[in-house]
Amino acid sequence: MLVFLLLSGSTVLTLSAQQTGLESGNRAPEIKLLTLKGDTIALSSLKGKLVLIDFWGTWCSPCVEEQSELSKLYTKYKQLTYTNGKGFEIYGVSLDSKKTNWENFVTKNKINWIQVSDLKFWRSPVAKTYNIQGLPFNVLIDGKGIILAKNLHGADLEKEIERYSVIKKTEK
Amino acid sequence: MNAKNLVFLLLTVATLVFASYQISAQGQNDPWTPQQLLAPADLAKVLNNSKTPQPTVYCIGMDAIIKGSIDVGPAMMPENLNTLKQKISKLPKNASIVVYCGCCPFSRCPNIRPAMKLLKDMQFTNYKLLNLPQNVKVDWMDKGYPVSE
Repeated sequence: MLVFLLLSGSTVLTLSAQQTGLESGNRAPEIKLLTLKGDTIALSSLKGKLVLIDFWGTWCSPCVEEQSELSKLYTKYKQLTYTNGKGFEIYGVSLDSKKTNWENFVTKNKINWIQVSDLKFWRSPVAKTYNIQGLPFNVLIDGKGIILAKNLHGADLEKEIERYSVIKKTEK
Repeated sequence: MNAKNLVFLLLTVATLVFASYQISAQGQNDPWTPQQLLAPADLAKVLNNSKTPQPTVYCIGMDAIIKGSIDVGPAMMPENLNTLKQKISKLPKNASIVVYCGCCPFSRCPNIRPAMKLLKDMQFTNYKLLNLPQNVKVDWMDKGYPVSE
Protein backbone atom coordinates (compact mmCIF):
# COMPACT_ATOMS: atom_id res chain seq x y z
CA MET A 1 0.00 0.00 0.00
CA LEU A 2 2.79 2.41 1.02
CA VAL A 3 4.72 1.57 -2.14
CA PHE A 4 1.57 2.17 -4.21
CA LEU A 5 1.03 5.57 -2.56
CA LEU A 6 4.66 6.57 -3.10
CA LEU A 7 4.51 5.53 -6.74
CA SER A 8 1.23 7.40 -7.26
CA GLY A 9 2.67 10.54 -5.66
CA SER A 10 5.74 10.33 -7.83
CA THR A 11 3.58 9.94 -10.96
CA VAL A 12 1.49 12.99 -10.01
CA LEU A 13 4.63 15.06 -9.46
CA THR A 14 6.08 13.97 -12.79
CA LEU A 15 2.85 14.80 -14.64
CA SER A 16 2.66 18.18 -12.89
CA ALA A 17 6.22 19.00 -13.95
CA GLN A 18 5.47 18.09 -17.56
CA GLN A 19 2.37 20.24 -17.71
CA THR A 20 2.77 23.68 -19.27
CA GLY A 21 1.52 26.36 -16.91
CA LEU A 22 2.43 29.23 -14.68
CA GLU A 23 2.85 27.50 -11.35
CA SER A 24 6.12 26.38 -9.81
CA GLY A 25 6.83 22.90 -11.15
CA ASN A 26 5.07 23.56 -14.47
CA ARG A 27 6.86 23.79 -17.79
CA ALA A 28 7.11 27.49 -18.71
CA PRO A 29 5.10 28.42 -21.84
CA GLU A 30 7.22 28.83 -24.95
CA ILE A 31 8.15 32.33 -26.11
CA LYS A 32 9.52 33.04 -29.59
CA LEU A 33 10.17 36.69 -30.28
CA LEU A 34 12.44 38.91 -32.31
CA THR A 35 15.67 40.47 -31.10
CA LEU A 36 16.71 44.03 -31.95
CA LYS A 37 18.62 42.63 -34.92
CA GLY A 38 15.54 40.82 -36.21
CA ASP A 39 16.54 37.26 -35.32
CA THR A 40 14.10 35.00 -33.54
CA ILE A 41 15.20 33.53 -30.22
CA ALA A 42 13.03 30.89 -28.60
CA LEU A 43 12.99 30.47 -24.86
CA SER A 44 13.32 26.72 -25.42
CA SER A 45 16.66 27.28 -27.15
CA LEU A 46 18.12 28.07 -23.73
CA LYS A 47 17.48 24.56 -22.50
CA GLY A 48 20.25 23.42 -20.20
CA LYS A 49 20.67 26.81 -18.48
CA LEU A 50 19.12 28.46 -15.47
CA VAL A 51 17.05 31.26 -17.06
CA LEU A 52 15.45 34.39 -15.71
CA ILE A 53 12.61 35.57 -17.97
CA ASP A 54 12.45 39.29 -17.27
CA PHE A 55 9.33 41.12 -18.48
CA TRP A 56 10.00 44.83 -18.57
CA GLY A 57 9.57 48.05 -20.53
CA THR A 58 11.45 51.32 -20.84
CA TRP A 59 8.23 53.11 -19.78
CA CYS A 60 8.20 51.23 -16.46
CA SER A 61 10.42 53.08 -13.99
CA PRO A 62 10.86 50.19 -11.47
CA CYS A 63 11.89 47.97 -14.42
CA VAL A 64 14.44 50.50 -15.57
CA GLU A 65 15.86 50.79 -12.06
CA GLU A 66 16.10 47.00 -11.84
CA GLN A 67 18.21 46.64 -15.00
CA SER A 68 21.42 47.67 -13.22
CA GLU A 69 20.79 45.02 -10.56
CA LEU A 70 20.19 42.42 -13.27
CA SER A 71 23.45 43.43 -14.89
CA LYS A 72 25.32 42.65 -11.67
CA LEU A 73 23.50 39.32 -11.28
CA TYR A 74 24.24 38.39 -14.88
CA THR A 75 27.95 39.07 -14.49
CA LYS A 76 28.14 37.22 -11.20
CA TYR A 77 26.11 34.13 -12.11
CA LYS A 78 26.27 33.61 -15.88
CA GLN A 79 29.10 31.10 -15.74
CA LEU A 80 28.16 29.11 -12.67
CA THR A 81 26.78 25.61 -12.66
CA TYR A 82 23.41 24.92 -11.13
CA THR A 83 21.70 21.83 -9.79
CA ASN A 84 19.64 21.66 -12.96
CA GLY A 85 21.47 23.76 -15.50
CA LYS A 86 24.87 24.91 -16.63
CA GLY A 87 25.20 28.69 -16.87
CA PHE A 88 22.73 31.48 -16.15
CA GLU A 89 20.93 33.49 -18.84
CA ILE A 90 18.48 36.36 -18.79
CA TYR A 91 15.74 36.36 -21.44
CA GLY A 92 14.52 39.96 -21.42
CA VAL A 93 11.06 40.45 -22.88
CA SER A 94 10.36 44.12 -23.53
CA LEU A 95 6.74 45.28 -23.58
CA ASP A 96 7.71 48.47 -25.35
CA SER A 97 5.77 49.64 -28.38
CA LYS A 98 8.47 51.83 -29.90
CA LYS A 99 11.61 50.10 -31.10
CA THR A 100 13.71 53.26 -30.80
CA ASN A 101 12.96 53.56 -27.05
CA TRP A 102 13.87 49.93 -26.49
CA GLU A 103 16.99 50.05 -28.66
CA ASN A 104 18.27 53.32 -27.20
CA PHE A 105 17.92 52.06 -23.64
CA VAL A 106 19.60 48.72 -24.38
CA THR A 107 22.48 50.43 -26.16
CA LYS A 108 22.95 53.22 -23.63
CA ASN A 109 22.91 50.84 -20.67
CA LYS A 110 25.05 48.22 -22.41
CA ILE A 111 22.58 45.42 -21.72
CA ASN A 112 24.39 42.31 -22.86
CA TRP A 113 21.82 39.58 -22.25
CA ILE A 114 19.11 38.39 -24.63
CA GLN A 115 16.51 41.02 -25.50
CA VAL A 116 13.34 40.19 -27.44
CA SER A 117 10.03 41.94 -28.10
CA ASP A 118 7.01 41.99 -30.39
CA LEU A 119 6.64 45.75 -29.72
CA LYS A 120 2.98 45.30 -28.81
CA PHE A 121 2.97 46.90 -25.35
CA TRP A 122 0.18 45.36 -23.25
CA ARG A 123 -1.33 43.81 -26.38
CA SER A 124 1.54 41.34 -26.56
CA PRO A 125 0.16 37.77 -26.59
CA VAL A 126 3.01 36.87 -24.23
CA ALA A 127 1.57 39.21 -21.58
CA LYS A 128 -1.65 37.22 -21.81
CA THR A 129 0.04 33.81 -21.85
CA TYR A 130 2.02 34.67 -18.74
CA ASN A 131 -0.97 36.42 -17.13
CA ILE A 132 1.12 39.47 -16.35
CA GLN A 133 -0.72 41.85 -14.04
CA GLY A 134 1.98 44.51 -13.87
CA LEU A 135 5.66 45.19 -14.45
CA PRO A 136 8.31 44.32 -13.50
CA PHE A 137 7.52 40.63 -13.57
CA ASN A 138 9.88 37.69 -13.88
CA VAL A 139 9.99 33.91 -13.93
CA LEU A 140 13.00 31.77 -13.01
CA ILE A 141 13.21 28.44 -14.86
CA ASP A 142 15.64 25.57 -14.67
CA GLY A 143 17.59 23.79 -17.41
CA LYS A 144 14.54 21.74 -18.31
CA GLY A 145 12.30 24.78 -18.63
CA ILE A 146 10.50 24.09 -15.35
CA ILE A 147 9.35 27.08 -13.30
CA LEU A 148 11.30 27.43 -10.05
CA ALA A 149 10.01 30.81 -8.85
CA LYS A 150 8.03 33.86 -9.95
CA ASN A 151 8.33 37.58 -9.42
CA LEU A 152 11.32 37.68 -7.12
CA HIS A 153 13.34 40.87 -7.00
CA GLY A 154 16.43 42.27 -5.28
CA ALA A 155 17.92 40.13 -2.53
CA ASP A 156 15.15 37.53 -2.81
CA LEU A 157 15.99 36.91 -6.46
CA GLU A 158 19.71 36.58 -5.83
CA LYS A 159 19.07 34.25 -2.89
CA GLU A 160 16.98 32.01 -5.14
CA ILE A 161 19.64 31.90 -7.86
CA GLU A 162 22.27 31.22 -5.21
CA ARG A 163 20.15 28.38 -3.86
CA TYR A 164 20.45 26.45 -7.12
CA SER A 165 24.11 27.20 -7.78
CA VAL A 166 26.79 24.65 -7.04
CA ILE A 167 29.46 27.41 -7.05
CA LYS A 168 31.65 26.06 -9.77
CA LYS A 169 32.81 27.84 -12.92
CA THR A 170 31.61 26.18 -16.08
CA GLU A 171 34.06 25.25 -18.75
CA LYS A 172 34.32 27.85 -21.51
CA MET B 1 -25.34 50.29 21.99
CA ASN B 2 -28.78 51.03 20.63
CA ALA B 3 -29.85 50.60 16.99
CA LYS B 4 -29.52 54.33 16.21
CA ASN B 5 -25.91 54.42 17.40
CA LEU B 6 -25.14 51.24 15.51
CA VAL B 7 -26.46 52.71 12.26
CA PHE B 8 -24.42 55.89 12.87
CA LEU B 9 -21.29 53.82 13.51
CA LEU B 10 -21.81 51.75 10.35
CA LEU B 11 -22.35 54.88 8.24
CA THR B 12 -19.19 56.45 9.67
CA VAL B 13 -17.15 53.34 8.88
CA ALA B 14 -18.60 53.17 5.35
CA THR B 15 -17.77 56.85 4.77
CA LEU B 16 -14.19 56.34 5.97
CA VAL B 17 -13.73 53.26 3.76
CA PHE B 18 -15.08 55.17 0.72
CA ALA B 19 -12.89 58.18 1.48
CA SER B 20 -9.77 56.04 1.86
CA TYR B 21 -10.53 54.36 -1.47
CA GLN B 22 -10.79 57.73 -3.19
CA ILE B 23 -7.58 58.96 -1.52
CA SER B 24 -5.75 55.84 -2.70
CA ALA B 25 -6.56 56.85 -6.30
CA GLN B 26 -5.67 60.45 -5.67
CA GLY B 27 -2.61 61.66 -3.83
CA GLN B 28 -2.71 64.89 -1.88
CA ASN B 29 -1.05 66.97 -4.59
CA ASP B 30 -2.56 65.31 -7.63
CA PRO B 31 -4.15 67.71 -10.13
CA TRP B 32 -7.55 66.00 -10.15
CA THR B 33 -10.47 65.55 -7.82
CA PRO B 34 -12.19 62.24 -7.00
CA GLN B 35 -15.11 63.44 -9.14
CA GLN B 36 -12.78 63.66 -12.14
CA LEU B 37 -11.96 59.95 -12.04
CA LEU B 38 -13.99 58.10 -14.66
CA ALA B 39 -14.74 54.43 -14.06
CA PRO B 40 -13.66 52.19 -16.98
CA ALA B 41 -17.08 50.50 -17.01
CA ASP B 42 -18.75 53.88 -17.53
CA LEU B 43 -16.51 54.83 -20.47
CA ALA B 44 -16.90 51.35 -21.99
CA LYS B 45 -20.68 51.73 -21.78
CA VAL B 46 -20.53 55.05 -23.64
CA LEU B 47 -18.10 53.77 -26.29
CA ASN B 48 -20.29 50.73 -26.90
CA ASN B 49 -23.32 52.89 -27.56
CA SER B 50 -22.72 55.10 -30.59
CA LYS B 51 -26.06 56.84 -30.01
CA THR B 52 -24.79 58.52 -26.85
CA PRO B 53 -22.59 61.63 -27.13
CA GLN B 54 -18.96 60.50 -27.34
CA PRO B 55 -16.16 62.17 -25.40
CA THR B 56 -12.82 62.90 -27.06
CA VAL B 57 -10.45 60.32 -25.60
CA TYR B 58 -6.70 60.95 -25.61
CA CYS B 59 -4.02 58.38 -24.88
CA ILE B 60 -1.27 60.26 -23.09
CA GLY B 61 0.75 57.06 -22.55
CA MET B 62 2.45 54.48 -24.73
CA ASP B 63 -0.21 53.13 -27.09
CA ALA B 64 -3.79 54.13 -27.89
CA ILE B 65 -5.32 50.80 -26.92
CA ILE B 66 -8.82 52.09 -26.19
CA LYS B 67 -11.14 52.07 -29.19
CA GLY B 68 -11.42 55.45 -30.86
CA SER B 69 -8.79 57.11 -28.69
CA ILE B 70 -6.29 59.56 -30.10
CA ASP B 71 -2.58 58.79 -29.64
CA VAL B 72 -0.69 61.75 -28.21
CA GLY B 73 2.32 59.94 -26.77
CA PRO B 74 3.68 59.98 -23.21
CA ALA B 75 2.73 63.35 -21.70
CA MET B 76 5.87 63.36 -19.57
CA MET B 77 7.73 64.43 -22.73
CA PRO B 78 7.34 68.17 -23.47
CA GLU B 79 6.83 67.62 -27.20
CA ASN B 80 3.90 65.25 -26.55
CA LEU B 81 2.39 67.58 -23.97
CA ASN B 82 2.61 70.30 -26.57
CA THR B 83 0.84 68.05 -29.08
CA LEU B 84 -1.97 67.57 -26.56
CA LYS B 85 -2.11 71.32 -26.02
CA GLN B 86 -2.45 71.95 -29.73
CA LYS B 87 -5.18 69.34 -30.12
CA ILE B 88 -7.33 70.49 -27.20
CA SER B 89 -6.91 74.18 -27.97
CA LYS B 90 -9.25 73.58 -30.91
CA LEU B 91 -12.01 72.30 -28.58
CA PRO B 92 -14.55 74.37 -26.66
CA LYS B 93 -13.76 74.75 -22.94
CA ASN B 94 -16.77 72.63 -22.01
CA ALA B 95 -15.84 69.75 -24.35
CA SER B 96 -16.11 66.28 -22.87
CA ILE B 97 -12.50 65.07 -22.66
CA VAL B 98 -11.05 61.86 -21.24
CA VAL B 99 -7.34 61.15 -20.85
CA TYR B 100 -5.68 57.86 -19.95
CA CYS B 101 -2.26 56.25 -19.73
CA GLY B 102 -2.40 52.83 -18.05
CA CYS B 103 1.29 52.00 -18.17
CA CYS B 104 1.66 51.59 -14.42
CA PRO B 105 -0.18 52.15 -11.14
CA PHE B 106 -1.24 55.79 -10.71
CA SER B 107 1.37 56.39 -8.03
CA ARG B 108 4.18 55.63 -10.50
CA CYS B 109 2.71 56.96 -13.73
CA PRO B 110 4.78 59.88 -15.07
CA ASN B 111 2.20 60.90 -17.70
CA ILE B 112 -1.16 61.53 -16.08
CA ARG B 113 -0.15 64.46 -13.88
CA PRO B 114 1.29 66.71 -16.64
CA ALA B 115 -1.79 66.05 -18.82
CA MET B 116 -4.32 66.72 -16.07
CA LYS B 117 -2.44 69.85 -15.00
CA LEU B 118 -2.50 71.13 -18.58
CA LEU B 119 -6.27 70.63 -18.81
CA LYS B 120 -6.71 72.41 -15.51
CA ASP B 121 -4.42 75.29 -16.49
CA MET B 122 -6.25 75.69 -19.80
CA GLN B 123 -9.47 76.00 -17.81
CA PHE B 124 -11.37 73.14 -19.34
CA THR B 125 -14.50 72.37 -17.36
CA ASN B 126 -15.50 68.85 -18.37
CA TYR B 127 -12.44 66.62 -18.42
CA LYS B 128 -11.86 63.28 -16.74
CA LEU B 129 -9.00 60.91 -15.99
CA LEU B 130 -9.81 57.30 -16.76
CA ASN B 131 -9.44 55.41 -13.50
CA LEU B 132 -6.92 52.70 -14.36
CA PRO B 133 -5.35 52.19 -10.94
CA GLN B 134 -3.24 49.17 -11.98
CA ASN B 135 -2.75 49.40 -15.75
CA VAL B 136 -4.68 49.41 -19.02
CA LYS B 137 -4.31 45.65 -19.42
CA VAL B 138 -5.79 44.66 -16.09
CA ASP B 139 -8.35 47.47 -15.77
CA TRP B 140 -9.47 47.63 -19.40
CA MET B 141 -8.32 44.88 -21.76
CA ASP B 142 -8.80 41.96 -19.36
CA LYS B 143 -12.36 43.15 -18.71
CA GLY B 144 -13.20 42.88 -22.39
CA TYR B 145 -13.82 46.59 -22.92
CA PRO B 146 -13.49 47.88 -26.52
CA VAL B 147 -9.98 48.15 -27.91
CA SER B 148 -8.65 49.60 -31.13
CA GLU B 149 -7.72 47.30 -34.01
